Amino acid sequence: MADDTTKANAPPPRDDEPKRIGRREVLKGLSTVPALGLFGYAWNRQRHYQQARVEEVAAGAQAPAGVQDVNVALLGAGAQGQVLTDAMLRIPGVRFRAVCDVWTEYNQKRVVNSLKRFKHEVNGYEDYREMLDKEKAIDAVIIATPDFWHSQHTVDCLEAGKHVYCEKEMSNTLEGARKMVAAQRKTGKLLQIGHQRRSNPRYLHCYDKILHEAKMLGRIVTVYGQWNRAVTPDLGAPDRYVIPEARLQQYGFKDMHQFRNWRWYKGKGGGPIVDLGSHQIDIYSWFLGANPSRVMASGGNLYYDPKTHEWYDTVMAVYDFDTPLGPAKAYYQTQTTNGSQGYFENFMGDQGTLLISESEVNYAGQLYRDPNAPAWDEWIQKRYVSAPREQESKGKSDSGAIADVRESVAPDQHTVPVTLRDPYHQPHLQNFFDTVRGKATLNCPADVAYETAVAVLKVNEAIEAKSVLSFTPEEFKV
Amino acid sequence: MEDGKQSRSPMIAITMLRVIIGWHFLYEGIAKLTSPTWSAAGYMKVSRGPFADLFRWIASQPHLLDNANLITMYGLTVVGVLLMLGLFTRLAALGGIAFVLLFYLCNPPFVGYFYSIPTEGSYLIVNKNLVELSALVVILVTGSGRFAGIDRIMHTLFARRRRLAAARVSVAGL
Repeated sequence: MADDTTKANAPPPRDDEPKRIGRREVLKGLSTVPALGLFGYAWNRQRHYQQARVEEVAAGAQAPAGVQDVNVALLGAGAQGQVLTDAMLRIPGVRFRAVCDVWTEYNQKRVVNSLKRFKHEVNGYEDYREMLDKEKAIDAVIIATPDFWHSQHTVDCLEAGKHVYCEKEMSNTLEGARKMVAAQRKTGKLLQIGHQRRSNPRYLHCYDKILHEAKMLGRIVTVYGQWNRAVTPDLGAPDRYVIPEARLQQYGFKDMHQFRNWRWYKGKGGGPIVDLGSHQIDIYSWFLGANPSRVMASGGNLYYDPKTHEWYDTVMAVYDFDTPLGPAKAYYQTQTTNGSQGYFENFMGDQGTLLISESEVNYAGQLYRDPNAPAWDEWIQKRYVSAPREQESKGKSDSGAIADVRESVAPDQHTVPVTLRDPYHQPHLQNFFDTVRGKATLNCPADVAYETAVAVLKVNEAIEAKSVLSFTPEEFKV
Repeated sequence: MEDGKQSRSPMIAITMLRVIIGWHFLYEGIAKLTSPTWSAAGYMKVSRGPFADLFRWIASQPHLLDNANLITMYGLTVVGVLLMLGLFTRLAALGGIAFVLLFYLCNPPFVGYFYSIPTEGSYLIVNKNLVELSALVVILVTGSGRFAGIDRIMHTLFARRRRLAAARVSVAGL
């Protein structure tokens, strides 16, 4: 108000007078702009820090002297392709040369850009045959395309003289899987199938030390495994990235929904029992030291829309095994309507129990010694298992109930002292690259993976047949 | 409205408040813009309270969710910059109030609601969203941009033009 009266007394400014704003006014007005400058500075510092971290990871993957670079092409840049790429970026001596994916607008571009940021100069392709023609420098191809493409992609890549790491399931048909084994034998190139638990240090430790050397479980008579997954909506795609019909048809998909959700369609994938179960059923055969002799299974499409989910969403399979130590039964459950208690395999022997999963967080490896079994001190001293957890006596629980003496002494609980601190697929990929360099042997070569494919693909047949199906030993050989 | 009448230290304090809240909004906005995977879906899906159904429905419609994400990311950034500079302060404060009100209503700390997303501190009815909202109301009502912000320059420029126009009219009328 004081200002107003002063100005009212002054002569009215003429309109051709330049608008004068005092310097003080301007300074006061801009007084908070430096805060923005400070923000910019702090933000810049943070970004440099983040960039440095990224570069550290990329630099870590530079081959130390003496490790030969392996030139790699990625065929299939979807969800699993990206998981494998993240793992491979951490392996020294892996040089990406090309990325091939039919979804050029989205996944292919994304992976190409991401690899470029990690200083891998890659070319993007839509047609894998064009990639094989043009990229002469490739040593190995990593295949992460849908199951129904595995066979053709693998065979073509092997015949083009490349080593192949192909994701599981080996193929959605046994015929396709057989072609892959045949091509591997004919060309003599390496073919590793992506059952990554076969290279997981904890699984290897359990197999070599706990089962074979120490025989801590005694005779395994029953096995139980499960993969529980919560209800998940169908995968979609942003409107502006939808693939044109013609291209979808060319690559065997009837529409965008099938392209994104191929795992649920007959003729493309095998449903949850194959997607999820193949990992764990592979472990059954591995740990039991035998292939199954019989299987019966029950499954149904209990929850999802059968028009878009052609395969069974809930499956329970019962396998019979004739193991070297005697007969055993193995149960496997997968369901996609409830995710509690996740995934694990439980090997139950007469002297101990092994509860294991790939997860580092849940069921990461627990062993229980049956109270009647001999002491495990020797193995604890050798660090095959941890010391047992101390138990409070359960004679009387808090609620005042009196426990039956048979319940009050729990079996000793030990943990498996092996942790994997890398992405889950890294050891298996590392094993593949080490074998390419001639320094190791494959942990899951094609003929071994074929046996798993036989065991797993039969479950869907058994559900249809509603009876017990038998395996002959010849079925597992190609 | 003229600074002569207002004592300086409350206005300085409110200016600091404005800059700090502006910084917070700006960083929240930029962090979301530069994060490859941020989506409001996580926050909206655990919504409780009177508007829970609305938020959950928005989170489940990809089209609406995309819009909500864009509005949040860019809106927070713009509000932050405007508040820090003291430009269009009242408008920015209103925008900020709208955002924080939505965040508050989405996951209100009422009696009997248990959230599984981590929220540090213990809150009942009043949580940090509500506190920030009140701070924005103070900024809105006191117009601190006019005191130490670009609004001050704008105000002087345009107020002078208004006085010029008024003067011309009065001179003409004489």
